[in-house]
Amino acid sequence: MDGNYSFRKNLSAFFIEIGELTGFAGRFFQELFSRPFEFREFLRQSYNMGNKSMLLVGVTGFILGLVFTLQSRPTLMEFGAVSWMPSMISISIVREIGPVVIALILAGRIGSGIGAELGSMKVTEQIDAMEVSGTNPFKFLVVTRILATTLMIPILVILGDFIALLGSALVENLKGNVSFTLYFNQVFNTLEFSDLFPATIKTFFFGFAIGLVGCFKGYNSKKGTAGVGKASNSAVVFTSMLLFIIDFIAVFITDIFYP
Amino acid sequence: MKIQSSKYLRLGLFVISGLIIFTLAIFFIGNRQHLFGESLKVTSVFKNVNGLQVGNNVRFAGLDVGTVKEIVMVNDTSIAVNMFLDIETANQMKKNAMATINSDGLVGSMVVNIIPGEGPRSSALQQGDTLESISQVATADMLSTLNRTNENAAMLTSDLLKITNSINSGEGVAGALLKDNEMAEDLKHSISNLRQSTRSAITSVNRFNNLLSQVNFDESLAGLMLNDSLSAQKFAATLSNLDSSAVEINKITNDISAFSSEIKTGKGVINFMLTDTSFVNHLDSSLQNIEEATHKFDQNMEALKHNFFFRGYFRRLERQKAREAEANEP
Repeated sequence: MDGNYSFRKNLSAFFIEIGELTGFAGRFFQELFSRPFEFREFLRQSYNMGNKSMLLVGVTGFILGLVFTLQSRPTLMEFGAVSWMPSMISISIVREIGPVVIALILAGRIGSGIGAELGSMKVTEQIDAMEVSGTNPFKFLVVTRILATTLMIPILVILGDFIALLGSALVENLKGNVSFTLYFNQVFNTLEFSDLFPATIKTFFFGFAIGLVGCFKGYNSKKGTAGVGKASNSAVVFTSMLLFIIDFIAVFITDIFYP
Repeated sequence: MKIQSSKYLRLGLFVISGLIIFTLAIFFIGNRQHLFGESLKVTSVFKNVNGLQVGNNVRFAGLDVGTVKEIVMVNDTSIAVNMFLDIETANQMKKNAMATINSDGLVGSMVVNIIPGEGPRSSALQQGDTLESISQVATADMLSTLNRTNENAAMLTSDLLKITNSINSGEGVAGALLKDNEMAEDLKHSISNLRQSTRSAITSVNRFNNLLSQVNFDESLAGLMLNDSLSAQKFAATLSNLDSSAVEINKITNDISAFSSEIKTGKGVINFMLTDTSFVNHLDSSLQNIEEATHKFDQNMEALKHNFFFRGYFRRLERQKAREAEANEP
């Protein structure tokens, strides 16, 4: 009986949270187009999220390309299809693995960071203080962060994809005597706009989801300092799940337009 | 403020580097699809495009020279494929070039191959030209043929199975050959006889050869017949005469046959003699009368020899015979 009650309570809480998140997103779009624009804060957040994530994304992307190529190579060699390596790796990385893996890593880094930062500001009543001082905390804290993630994640994914392809090219160059020129020739001979555009467009949604969930969790954190950790943790978990849902929808829509 | 500027600079570099990479990717992909720069649009009409898609490569002599821009169905038997070709390469192509749709490798995507035309040199390809198309055997057609072959093979196998079953159960000649012991024995005997016959034939042939080797072809009649052209002519003439004689004999035979049939069917004396039994009886009795009369006449003549008036005459004849006999003796 208690279990049933608990399940209903959790389900109810989940739907309430979804509703609140939707309202939060609506408020974001409402505040986005209203003055004043917090441009400096937006640039600061972009720098923190974009530039400061470059190393993480670069290392992750490079290792991703390297490992993916090393792991695929024996199987392709078995079929005598090593020459297809650049085609296979480029399509896999650009279409799916690059955006999803990099978005998940950034969800961990940026989403948790936003959740923890806004959560701590909430529990220390800094947000309330901002309101008292006449600053719109939502516009200053939330809009700038969501906008920054929405615009920075695609750039980070593009850079990450490129570095992953460099890592893959390095392996092919060392193991298969394939020159970088030949490798990238084959990569660009294989890639189509149908590979690049849908994958890039979905990264905007990934960025939006990371910023939105991080800000929502942090902005609505409760129960003191313990709530900060919970907000940070749940921001990562919820964002990760949301990323896969968005990816599924994106792939589904892409398949309709580019069968 | 200085720190802020440095941050903005780095942010700007980060954003610009990301945008450059994205722009380069668009440029390289777009360049391959001939979206940038001047290109030549040509069309080719096919009956079947075999799964060709917009964006597939166009090749000329193995070089990637363009992409498929549009595929339009003109009617139920014609599909127009519009292609954008790189202007520099397209300037080398002639109007009599032909387009064909092939697969890029065994499992690759489809490509349009442009083959240089044969025959007299044609003018260079122009904007909007239509290339002649060649229909290749599609995989589906090959599979269809293979399917028919498989069906035929299945039918053949089924028939073969029936035949094998019949043979196993000893039906027919083949079955009897394999199963019937009596027939096998007969066959064995036949083969043995055949072997003996062959041996005899060989012996006969050898003998005949020996005989032939003993024939003097230079001086014998056979040699004369074989070598002398005059004799051959004579022989031919003889054969010709024989032939004409045979014709004559045949004619005579026919005449005789007609004659005999006429005798049989006619009303002449001979037919009367042959067919009328009363006449034969009369003739028989007349002959008997003649015989009797002759006998009596012999008796009369013998009596006449002893007659007084004629006795001298007969004695004189006997003496004359005796003298002739003496004169003839040596």
